Amino acid sequence: MITGHFKTDYSADEGIWSNWPKRWGLVAALIGLAIFPFMASNYALLLAGQIGIFIVAVTGLNVLIGYTGLMSLGHGAFFAVGAYTTVAIHHEWPLTFPLITLVISTVVAAAFGVLFGLPSLRVKGLYLAVATLSANFIILFLIEQDWLAEWTGGVRGTETPNAVFFGIELVSQQAKYFFIMPVMVLMLLFAQNLFRTRFGRALIAIRDKDYSAEILGIALFSYKLKSFAISAAYCGAAGSLWAYFFPAILPEDFGLNMSITLVVCLVAGGMGRTLGPIFGTILILLVPEMLKVVAAAITGGDATSQTWVSPTRDILFGLMIIGFLIFEPMGLVNIWDRFWRFMSRWPFAK
Amino acid sequence: MALNRRTLLKTGAALTAASMAPSIVRAESPHWRVAASLPMTGPFATAGQLVAPAFSEFEQQVNDNGGIGGRPIRIEVEDSGYIPRNALANFQRAQAGGDLHFYYGDSTGFMELVGPTLTGDNAVMMGSTSFASALSDPANRPYQFMAGPTYEDQFEILLRDIADKGGKTVAFVYSDTEFGRDPIEHGRRVAEELGIEVVLEEVTRAEGADIENHVTKLAQANPEYTILQGYVTGVWPQLIGGARAFGLTTQFMGTFWGMEKIIADRVTEQAGPFLDGYQGVMPYRYFYDQEDAPFYRELGEFKRSVNPGFSGYVTAWELEGRLCLELWKLCMERVIEADKEVTPDNLMAELGAIRNWDSGGFFGEPVNVVNNKIGQGRVYRYDAESRLYNPVSDWIQV
Repeated sequence: MITGHFKTDYSADEGIWSNWPKRWGLVAALIGLAIFPFMASNYALLLAGQIGIFIVAVTGLNVLIGYTGLMSLGHGAFFAVGAYTTVAIHHEWPLTFPLITLVISTVVAAAFGVLFGLPSLRVKGLYLAVATLSANFIILFLIEQDWLAEWTGGVRGTETPNAVFFGIELVSQQAKYFFIMPVMVLMLLFAQNLFRTRFGRALIAIRDKDYSAEILGIALFSYKLKSFAISAAYCGAAGSLWAYFFPAILPEDFGLNMSITLVVCLVAGGMGRTLGPIFGTILILLVPEMLKVVAAAITGGDATSQTWVSPTRDILFGLMIIGFLIFEPMGLVNIWDRFWRFMSRWPFAK
Repeated sequence: MALNRRTLLKTGAALTAASMAPSIVRAESPHWRVAASLPMTGPFATAGQLVAPAFSEFEQQVNDNGGIGGRPIRIEVEDSGYIPRNALANFQRAQAGGDLHFYYGDSTGFMELVGPTLTGDNAVMMGSTSFASALSDPANRPYQFMAGPTYEDQFEILLRDIADKGGKTVAFVYSDTEFGRDPIEHGRRVAEELGIEVVLEEVTRAEGADIENHVTKLAQANPEYTILQGYVTGVWPQLIGGARAFGLTTQFMGTFWGMEKIIADRVTEQAGPFLDGYQGVMPYRYFYDQEDAPFYRELGEFKRSVNPGFSGYVTAWELEGRLCLELWKLCMERVIEADKEVTPDNLMAELGAIRNWDSGGFFGEPVNVVNNKIGQGRVYRYDAESRLYNPVSDWIQV
């Protein structure tokens, strides 16, 4: 039973793993991630891989929306930049080490993030959201152009390379999982630590009251652009992993739908917390699949039943999201917090 | 059974375990398992909803007749929302459920996505809604096939028909999608070979195209024929209607997904008879053309027996799905008859060996499967008064 957190110095106050449930929770999660692929089918690995990649992207979006308070509806495009940069690098230099490709894709996406973050100096809120929308259309338009088709495949899309580590080609989904998950964990740790630094606190200050932050000496333009760069870099890394994970990519995989999905994952999970993107992504990507499994178990996958089951399932999922936002607007992470508060006081208080 | 917290947790755990369990621990199915992804929701929900009954009816019809090789079939259909990665998840979930003998995909995007994964134990014979030319490639896509000619073939059929009728100029109007661009390069080449000048190539959005601009360009180019590619219904009322309102006499043509009678009928009903004379290539007979199609008659009787409200018409979209299933069944029967093991390789070998097959009326002539496709089709013309597509060419082989 936890009865309180008694901190006696600043380093304890800044500590990430400040109590044993957090420490052991992390250990259990890492062990779970490590043994999962040995028990899972390809289907479960496919979902896990997608969730891992989306967590990276949503964590990036969290840096921008959750911590800096800047809205974006264009991060699906940065995802595409990462994916297509990876494909293009392997097209030119097929034997490039995957981590180098990952880093380059991340940097290229960050550069695009800076470019599309420029309006953030002048506008914010919904206006910035509308300004960032353009990224979806401009970047996808470029990807689909014939003169870039040698590297992007144009509107037809393109097959993607497999990552090769020291002569070992990651072909199976199990092998790809072991590439994605460590990257995801490292990027989560980076995000968690980012907000313990001076830089991270500056972003939070901008979110809380930007003109106050400026009065305190924080260069708004520079910090906002850096926030855009970091969040786009995360999406670029996610795109690179996506290209390694799926055997082919199409322009329609990205764009506005993906941008909105990323935002929905973040809102559902909870903004401004590292756990938010994890919970939100799992909820948004896993629940529709679980609903499919349940519906298939009930109907046996019968084709005629599917004509009404499928739309009904979508409606149910939509209602669930609406209900969730009404009754838990702070996101899943708030339920998590309440649960642990309850556990820490039980049985003496609720 | 009362639904309490404990029951809910147990059910959840069981479902999770079921979805995670490796296929190796599953018992072999007593059925021949078939699964499909269809767009029951999303932009092509109309097509998915219309095609779906074909699967349950095929299942019932085959099982009523003793199954295949004495073993019943079981078909599981899942919605993809026309999102390739959803369809991939559906496919892998179906695979995790044990022996999967055939899969029907819902899009070119899905077929492209899944193609490279169909190797070793993951290989499955696979048909789809797609006529993308890239799928007719046994060397690189040994398990995927199409139940008809590729879009390139369909373009070629149209261009040959234009040449036969003395046409000299043509315009290609296509959507800015993979579907739209697929046959364009091949079309240019064939047009050149046939001495037809391509006077305009116009790229539009798949839906909500900038019609005035496109119609103006058509008027300037003044082609005798205009081939539309990469649309299901989206541009008919606007583009063809707009062109007619502008006084253009160009003959509009389309390919398979732009040739469905019920859509043409609906457009005619709502917007007038401007589709009159619209032509296009169709790989199969229309369902109302049953004189030399015993299979169609049999299918119609079956549909009436299970559904007294059956309208008497089966969409070309449904026929395409049904033909994929019939081809799989044919291959299964031949493999079993030859006392071979039912494997994707053996099934595809039988598919590739199909020669002079009497399809029972789907196609006008006996067909061959070459390069995992069937290169045959005919040009039809829509008559707005009778609301029928009538043939205006012989069956053309490509």
